[in-house]
Amino acid sequence: MAELSFTEEELKEIEQLKAKFPTAKAATLQVLWVAQRKYGHVEPEVQNLVAETLDVPKSHVHGVASFYTQYYKEEKGKFVLDVCTCLSCQLCGGYDILHHLEEKLGIEAGETTDDGMFSIQSVECLGACGYAPMLQVTNGVYVNNLTKEKVDTLIDNLKNGKMPEFESMAMPELEKRNQAASE
Amino acid sequence: MPEVFIDGKRYEFEGKPMLLQFILDQGLEVPFFCYHPAMSIPANCRQCMVKVGTPVKDRETGEFEHDENGDRKIRWFPNPQTSCSTPLQDGMVVHTQETSEEVARAQKDNLEFILVNHPLDCPICDQAGECPLQIQTYKYGPEGSRFEVKKVHKPKRVELGPRVTMDAERCINCTRCVRFTEEISETNQLTIVQRGDDNYPQTAAGEEFDDPYSMNTVDICPVGALTSTDFRFKARVWEMNQTPSIDITNGKGCNVDLWTRDNEVLRITPRENDEVNDYWMPDAGREAYKLFNENRADRPSIKLDGDNQSNTSWNNAIETFAEVLDAHEADDILTVGSPHASVEENFAFNKFFNLLGSSNAKFTPDVIPGAGDDFLITDDQAPNTNGCRAINLDEADSNSLQSAVSGAKVVIILSDDLVGREVLSAADLNDSYTISFATNENDTTNVSDLVIPITCIAEHAASYVNVDGRIQRSYPAKETKYTNRRLNLEMSEGRLDRYGTNFDNWVSEENKVDCLPVWQFLNKLAERINLDFSYNHSRDVFADISEQFDMLSDISYERMDEENGVQLPIKQEEVKQA
Repeated sequence: MAELSFTEEELKEIEQLKAKFPTAKAATLQVLWVAQRKYGHVEPEVQNLVAETLDVPKSHVHGVASFYTQYYKEEKGKFVLDVCTCLSCQLCGGYDILHHLEEKLGIEAGETTDDGMFSIQSVECLGACGYAPMLQVTNGVYVNNLTKEKVDTLIDNLKNGKMPEFESMAMPELEKRNQAASE
Repeated sequence: MPEVFIDGKRYEFEGKPMLLQFILDQGLEVPFFCYHPAMSIPANCRQCMVKVGTPVKDRETGEFEHDENGDRKIRWFPNPQTSCSTPLQDGMVVHTQETSEEVARAQKDNLEFILVNHPLDCPICDQAGECPLQIQTYKYGPEGSRFEVKKVHKPKRVELGPRVTMDAERCINCTRCVRFTEEISETNQLTIVQRGDDNYPQTAAGEEFDDPYSMNTVDICPVGALTSTDFRFKARVWEMNQTPSIDITNGKGCNVDLWTRDNEVLRITPRENDEVNDYWMPDAGREAYKLFNENRADRPSIKLDGDNQSNTSWNNAIETFAEVLDAHEADDILTVGSPHASVEENFAFNKFFNLLGSSNAKFTPDVIPGAGDDFLITDDQAPNTNGCRAINLDEADSNSLQSAVSGAKVVIILSDDLVGREVLSAADLNDSYTISFATNENDTTNVSDLVIPITCIAEHAASYVNVDGRIQRSYPAKETKYTNRRLNLEMSEGRLDRYGTNFDNWVSEENKVDCLPVWQFLNKLAERINLDFSYNHSRDVFADISEQFDMLSDISYERMDEENGVQLPIKQEEVKQA
């Protein structure tokens, strides 16, 4: 890999991020995002670049990057499908969805398709237990209340370059409560 | 004075100690893993939980409130507290596992959690026998586990660095090693990677754990996760015998323990001394065990024809030595002391030849400028440079030593590889008759005409003065051909030493080196040439030293033992490269 570096503009952005925190170390997460937006991943070389830019220990950046599944420690496909397999989703069939996806795309969780379109990850709770099972597309939109059919449509849409739209989910209990309060 | 009640007993305290450290200081016990007195307190192992409460005070009067029995009312903290991170308060009431069922239960359950993914491979684990996790599970742990699912598997043999091997499965993520590299060695080489039950310490990608102090993490690891690559699988802890000693690989004189089995030194670990090395020592000092076992000068050797050395008897060595001394005037004899040898050795050596009429022995400091750091590694490569100065040996640089050698017909060198460290060249010693007292074979002994094998620090009791002027001493840890562990009350016995016989397959005579302490050899030589010189023990030598030198007048082995070494009124001199 060629010598990595941030551009002037990116460095300026990083300076601004650093200014928000009392220490440079605290800006690690934010700067890792800058790096991941630029390179699409935070491979070891990129982690080291972040460490050097912030002047914090390389081991620290490595530890932080490895903690979060949201940082890609290797090159991923264009769409990363984070399928939640934590408790609520698991009980509602999260693994069925994961295995269906694996079968459909012909890859295992943690792998990327040969055409570089899709990666699948099995991840922990994304905080959407109310609409389990669910998945997240490339650290962005949530796709909720999954069924196998819904997954198939999602894949077709993504292949056509059509990202799913943000879905505002109702919370029945909360609505009931709000209603009661207004009455 | 503020007071605290621990398990119903009243203690007074000063300052703001943490509860766990205070309990330990009283000789009481609470189990813990992540706490280390020299490092920050993360309270992440959760093992040291105790029940804590503070007395209720009337807000208006500031008086303690009492219950109907007249006892102070106590407001208990709602949950057990980690004692390591709880500062003591006046009137605090503490119940440890000794007096509280609840605390004992909390500790037991916590251990069950810690052991969820621990492989329990104690039978093949190097840490077994000195493992806090093992000991505390025996004492406070559950009898079995309720977790019947498969354990999480992690990397089993990771070479973290050249000297440390990691077994990630055994790790309980106490972060002692990570904090060590952050706070003590300040290399920041380690971090915890991954999360949840997958995590373990690791270096940054593509880096290795080559910290010059890396092996201290092996010592402080409370489980068998970090092991010494060198010592791995060499011996069980309970087979070895532990003898206090001093690190001789640099000038700091780190306090160490020598671990021996069948008279072989198998590993060296640091021994706590707040005045010198705290709990730590450099990795280089641990390699020194090889010096004690391998390549030793074993039996006297002599050059008979040309450059070939051959072993000879002690009688012949003494006879030859005496003949050489007889044949030369005192002025023709040059004696060279050594910063690598102890105070006693240098003194006895110097005194012997003083009695024959020679002037004081010269010595050349062994200093590599820039080799040291601000911590425990020093520029000075020898353990006793200040000791040579304290007994007024004649400090000489390389040039003046060379010229002294060229003017001498006999050169007698005490335990110093002058050729190997390029103070002298082999050619410098060509024209003189060279006698070396040596612990190990080296470039100097190779060009010597007569080599007298002497005991090393692992075989005798002797004292050394470190760069800061602190005098500390060693104990004999391994037997020579002429000492016996069972008769020498100074030597400690390990299990195998005590119960072994010559018929046991773990007992071997081969590890006993055929050598003598300098003073004992000189006794024999003195007897042969009718000189009034006799020391039975290094204690006698030291008694003479303290009589003769004011600075050492009130110092004895007993005082060094009691005070863990004694600071001498020496200002650290700028040590120059010779």
